[in-house]
Amino acid sequence: MSHGDKYIMKVFRSMKGLTGVLVLMFLCLTLSAQDNAALIGKGNKDYAAGLYNNSIEDYLKVVRNGYESPELYYNLGNAYFKANDLPSAILYYEKAKKLKPNDPDINFNLHIANSLIVDKIDPVPQLFYIRWWKSLYHLFDVNGWAWFNVASFIVLLALIITVIISRKALLRHVTAWLAVIVLVIFFFSLGFSLQTYHSFKKANEAIVFNPSVTVKSSPSENSIDLFVVHEGTKVKITDTVGDWYEIHIANGSVGWMKAASVKKI
Amino acid sequence: MKLSFRYIILILILTLSFTALQAQEIQFTASARPVVRVGEQFRLTYEINVEGRNFMAPDLSDFNVLSGPNPSSSQSIQIINGQVSRTVSNTYTYYLRAVKEGDYNIAPATIVVKGQRITSNALSIKVIAGNAQPPPTAARPSQRQNLQDNSGTVKGEDVFIRASIDNKNPWQGQQVIVTYKIYTKVPVSQYSMDQIPSYNNFWAQDLLDDNQKPVQYNEVIDGQQYVVAEIKKVALFPMTSGELTIDPLKVDVVAQIQTMTRRSIDPFFDHFFNDPFFGQNYQNVQKTLYSNTLKLNVKPLPLHNKPSDFSGAVGQFTFKSNIDRTSLKANEAVNLKFAVTGKGNIKLLDNLKVNFPPDFEVYDPKINNNINKNSYGISGARTIEYLLIPRNAGDFTIKPVTFSYFDPDKADYVTLTSPSYTINVAKSEGQTAAVTYSGVNQSDIEYIGSDIRFINIHPFVLHRIGSFFFASPQYLLLLAGTLLLAVALTLSWNAYSKQRRNVTLIRNRKATKVARKRLLKASGFLKTLDETLFYNEISQALWGYISDKFNIPLSELSMDSVREALVSKNVREDIMNPFIATLDHCEYARFAPGDKAVNMDHIYHEALDVITRIERELK
Repeated sequence: MSHGDKYIMKVFRSMKGLTGVLVLMFLCLTLSAQDNAALIGKGNKDYAAGLYNNSIEDYLKVVRNGYESPELYYNLGNAYFKANDLPSAILYYEKAKKLKPNDPDINFNLHIANSLIVDKIDPVPQLFYIRWWKSLYHLFDVNGWAWFNVASFIVLLALIITVIISRKALLRHVTAWLAVIVLVIFFFSLGFSLQTYHSFKKANEAIVFNPSVTVKSSPSENSIDLFVVHEGTKVKITDTVGDWYEIHIANGSVGWMKAASVKKI
Repeated sequence: MKLSFRYIILILILTLSFTALQAQEIQFTASARPVVRVGEQFRLTYEINVEGRNFMAPDLSDFNVLSGPNPSSSQSIQIINGQVSRTVSNTYTYYLRAVKEGDYNIAPATIVVKGQRITSNALSIKVIAGNAQPPPTAARPSQRQNLQDNSGTVKGEDVFIRASIDNKNPWQGQQVIVTYKIYTKVPVSQYSMDQIPSYNNFWAQDLLDDNQKPVQYNEVIDGQQYVVAEIKKVALFPMTSGELTIDPLKVDVVAQIQTMTRRSIDPFFDHFFNDPFFGQNYQNVQKTLYSNTLKLNVKPLPLHNKPSDFSGAVGQFTFKSNIDRTSLKANEAVNLKFAVTGKGNIKLLDNLKVNFPPDFEVYDPKINNNINKNSYGISGARTIEYLLIPRNAGDFTIKPVTFSYFDPDKADYVTLTSPSYTINVAKSEGQTAAVTYSGVNQSDIEYIGSDIRFINIHPFVLHRIGSFFFASPQYLLLLAGTLLLAVALTLSWNAYSKQRRNVTLIRNRKATKVARKRLLKASGFLKTLDETLFYNEISQALWGYISDKFNIPLSELSMDSVREALVSKNVREDIMNPFIATLDHCEYARFAPGDKAVNMDHIYHEALDVITRIERELK
């Protein structure tokens, strides 16, 4: 530790003023990146050796450093799963899925974890166009949609320019129609980007962490008990009153529970 | 003998005293302890200093009257300087027991003295909730009372119990030993453990046999010598972590103490019986002892380095495995034996997880626990014996079995691994004969287990939590930048093409004018017959005309390339051909034979004609 400090001080002294600070900042950045990579490597090694609690520690350190990625959340979910902490495993699989909706490994492991929790909830069947919409929506992750959005915008502008400067009637005709199609695509991708972005900003889904929670009919302790959910169940938060959440579960039931008994995805 | 001796003295004194009898003030007092506990026995005494009769007690129904009134009397005679004073004391004693909590008033008692009724004082007694001393049971009242009366003589420091623990800070599941010792200065004839603590949150195992004689030795505490006996020793395994309490042990002891008999209440005669001949003897005194409460702080087992197969074993263990044979024929049996030996919670161990090849028939293991108890704790061995029967021939491997335990001394987990065994199974004789090729021997892939998929071990890109490309400055900048670029591109293109169109338009419009000017100039030269200048002017007029008209730079025009240039500008054939022909004639006319003036005139008209034609055509 002190050795490294000395080295950094040496670097600092040799460089003067702004350049020195810049070099230091760059050094810190690369150091933290190396740190994270080393932590992940250590976590993977511990996982392979069966020391799941150690790998949880390592992965969580990276998260606490302020970094995330679907792969990291997936690995964390696996480590929690192996350490028999199902709610945490499901929480991290869901986080991973949110960042990367179409990953087969994430979906497979989440499915296995969900099949082991207490509550078996039959989801309400969705109408076909909602399913289509969702499968379209899950085609890309949030950044994918944003890039798609940018690309469609560029294509749209190129087409518009062509329409403006082209002298030939046929070319103008075709590009105009193409531009209309690309405009529709642009607005779709913008809508999807907005939707995924807001789902991250709002974080309106949560996993139950208390072993069993009685869901109430209204946000007060002495209201009527409606039903009981157990740890690992995913709920959708639709309203907040004080420290109470109004929640929906997948089968369509609605009720209120204490905010402390869930963790947001 | 004793009685008659007493009476003789009494009569002697009485006869002496009669002479000096004096009248004195009459005192009739009631006395009792003002505060008693529920269930406690106490005395109510009425004392009068003269002879009285007809003693009438007040109502004592608030209390349980154990005995009374017990009358007794005493007299004392003093002779000072020849003056004899006699004191008489008559007492009426009640033994009462408080029944209920509360404040009670005892009304005055009355007695008749010389025909006069005298009243005593009233008493008020407060009864408080009692718990200190248990009420004497009715079963053996006489003996009990005797013991109770004398119990004050067995003091707290004479005999007591101490509980000690060998480790106040154990790990969860680590064995701790609690020892209960009795310390005594007086001989103890017997003891009985009334109430053994329940040891909540512990798995407890007695280390001493009930009928084993306790170990005795001497110990000096604060300069006092005690005989110490270990009466109970327990091995405890904490099942939870945190602050845990061990309730005290309750022991009834019967101590033998030296005591003086005090049969007589008369203090006057006491010293007669206080000599070795009479009073001193041993008496059994019962006393209830409680050990101290033990508190221990149990540390939870660390999560760090916890192996996945850890199932709660804490202590020091060894792990061995043994197989009776490794090559055999199909349908013969193999014995596989695992043994865990050591010190710790061996009885609480879970079964080992052994992965047998799927083609093996495995019977439920035979589990044998061999637990040793001694005063140092619990140790022992657990053997797990599997009987395996391979049904098919082949080479099979039994994977290594791991056993993990927590070593409290190292404060870390230890994993022991058994070797892996390879078993060669040969075909059994019966099997070869019975083989039939039915052809439909195939089966679906058998799924032996299900598990989650493995972690992602390839390097991946991390990004800051909560940072998204969408709606980020880069995203907005990219969109705005593209838009700006597009707008700038369109505007500049428009400006450029506008400018270009203007230039060509002007040139186009001017083309005829310029050509006419040149041709006019040429017609001047025609008149002066200035051949070189004429042809120069004509060719310039022609070349300049096509350059301006069809927007072809002059530099690109030559006799060789004019056709291609015109074709690429989509000039019609019927315009292009006469034009090129005129250009041709213009080149050769100056060298052509014949009259110069005629040739020049001819060319002049041809050029004029072709330009006029193009003008007409393009209109």
